[in-house]
Amino acid sequence: MLSLKIENLAVSFPGLTAPVLAVDHLEIAAGSGVALTGGSGSGKSTLINIIAGLERTRAGRVFWGDQNFADLSEGRRDRWRAANIGLVMQDFHLFPGLSALDNILLPARLSRVATAELVKRAHVLFETVGLKRPEQHVETMSRGEMQRVAIARALLRKPGVIIADEPTASLDLESGEAVGDLLLSVAADAGSTLIVASHDQRLVERLGRRLSLKGGHIVGDTQAGEMAA
Amino acid sequence: MIRFILADLRRLWLGGAVVVLLVALATALGVAVTLQERSLRLGSARAADKFDLVVGAAGSETQLVLSSIFLQAAPLPLVDGSVLTRLSADPRVDWAAPVGFGDSFSGYPIIGTTTKLISSTTPGFAEGKMFALEGEAVLGAAVNLPLGAEIKPMHGTAETGGHTHAGPAYKVTGKLQPTGTPWDRAILVPIQAVWHVHGLGEEHGHEEEHHDGDGHDHAHEGEENHEDGETHVESEAAEHATPVAGTPAAQPAKPAFALGAASSAHIEEDHHGSIDPDAPVVETFGASTPGLPAILVKPKTIADAYRLRQEYRTGSTLGVFPGEVLTRLYATLGDAKMILSAVAAGSQGLVAAALVLVTVIHVGQRRRQIGALRAFGAPRLSVFTIVWLELFLLVALGIGIGFLIGLAAAQIGAQLFAAKSGVILPVGFTREDMRLALVFLGFAGILAAVPALLAYRQSPATALRA
Repeated sequence: MLSLKIENLAVSFPGLTAPVLAVDHLEIAAGSGVALTGGSGSGKSTLINIIAGLERTRAGRVFWGDQNFADLSEGRRDRWRAANIGLVMQDFHLFPGLSALDNILLPARLSRVATAELVKRAHVLFETVGLKRPEQHVETMSRGEMQRVAIARALLRKPGVIIADEPTASLDLESGEAVGDLLLSVAADAGSTLIVASHDQRLVERLGRRLSLKGGHIVGDTQAGEMAA
Repeated sequence: MIRFILADLRRLWLGGAVVVLLVALATALGVAVTLQERSLRLGSARAADKFDLVVGAAGSETQLVLSSIFLQAAPLPLVDGSVLTRLSADPRVDWAAPVGFGDSFSGYPIIGTTTKLISSTTPGFAEGKMFALEGEAVLGAAVNLPLGAEIKPMHGTAETGGHTHAGPAYKVTGKLQPTGTPWDRAILVPIQAVWHVHGLGEEHGHEEEHHDGDGHDHAHEGEENHEDGETHVESEAAEHATPVAGTPAAQPAKPAFALGAASSAHIEEDHHGSIDPDAPVVETFGASTPGLPAILVKPKTIADAYRLRQEYRTGSTLGVFPGEVLTRLYATLGDAKMILSAVAAGSQGLVAAALVLVTVIHVGQRRRQIGALRAFGAPRLSVFTIVWLELFLLVALGIGIGFLIGLAAAQIGAQLFAAKSGVILPVGFTREDMRLALVFLGFAGILAAVPALLAYRQSPATALRA
């Protein structure tokens, strides 16, 4: 339940004359669902990195609620992200050798915030995402199941924002659809702001707002209603 | 975090095991060298502890000590018997005892000596009693023979082609308590028996009252011995050149009967002597005492010891403090140890460098995974700690195992050495090793910090890039 406001953002890499991403103004309302589309080199990944606080904001301001990422040190940005942003990635990034439940709890444990309450929540989430065996080791799961575990992990600390980077790209059609459903429903249930970067047309269409990027600029910003119209 | 580390290590158990093994072997090498050298130093120092001063014929100090203290069979030039007589009478001398060797029985050296030496240098009898007759023998603690056993001396040792003396046999009357010295492996017999077996001092031992009249006997004996010596020269000069060959030429009356090696050409007829098993042991050594390879001397005071050594370092005799000779040997040993330690340190350095390389590559390969940990909110310090702990645990385990392997290796070495020489080598860790272990662990900590720092600096954004 956090709103995003970006002002005068410019991301450039040394050696490149043009910035890879330049966003003068962008606002995303709290609780809304936004799709990010664009080919490779469009600046999509950079935008995800910036709004997830994975990369430092050097020029411009990025507000989540009242919090400006540009003001935060790397360590504090990590902490803020851990508490407020749930990340779901194309490659799941589950850690083999650990059970599904341990994977869900791993980031919280490494941050030393895994209370008994949180462990209980992990169990509940495990069922919410439609899985049965919390002790199953992740390497024995199907890809669709793995992404469900990853979604449960993203939700553990009740983040105000869920950012998903190509969550269905490495799944087959059927499990991709199921994962898409799951993402939309959990975000709606929690009231979290959902930002999904995706090529998956059917997933994109189900989100309320669509931002298209090209050459580091936002070239399209449409509401689902307008599309239909 | 521990669970994550354990899961990770379990998954990478093969690589982890190789790391542990490498570290363990490199550590063990250094530890074994240190332990072995130390135990050798302590063990041999203990072996020489009881022997204050050794007097022998002019020659190699080291050989004299090795032969008399460590009972390493080797041909030694003989010191004139009168030296023992003089020493025994010297007021500065507590006791002086002859040591005669050259024979063996099933691998154990047979040492001719006196009851005084036995009672002064050993803690006492485990069973039985001291020899009282010429045909009796006392066993060192490590000699595996029963009381009452018959011992047929063999000239030289079996390995060097010795042959058994036809006639004489000793009967075991007692067994000593262990001393932890090579003398534990010795069969101790009256010195006169050794002389008699080798046809020396024939007329002397039996009846002391003949003392005055045995000038002729001695001349005769000298002649015989001379022949004996020449037989040696002829038959053995080629193989056992200097000590043996040189002696009879310079001192014709002193055959080298203390032979480590006896050739088959060395015929039994040369030793026309035999022991009289029932003759009482006589331990006063008159002027006619035959030549001896070594005399152990217990001076009354330290000042006496220095004076005696000075006096007996002239001309045909050589007085040495075994401790001093050993110190010189240790200096040589120390150099060897330094080289071995350098080799060990080099291998440890190589292993350390290899580990850094492997782990840096490993961290590089897991860049995305580490980035993901960060992206999901693991604090940077946690990431550092995970990588550091993983490597540190492996290396620490390797160091621990390495110390145990080193200890085991040194102990096996010490046991082999003890079985061969009788010298008990006290293998054990000391405070110094504790320090070494801490240094190793500290080094491991620094080593592990290299990949950990790399992981620490890993940007979380890498997790997203496919």
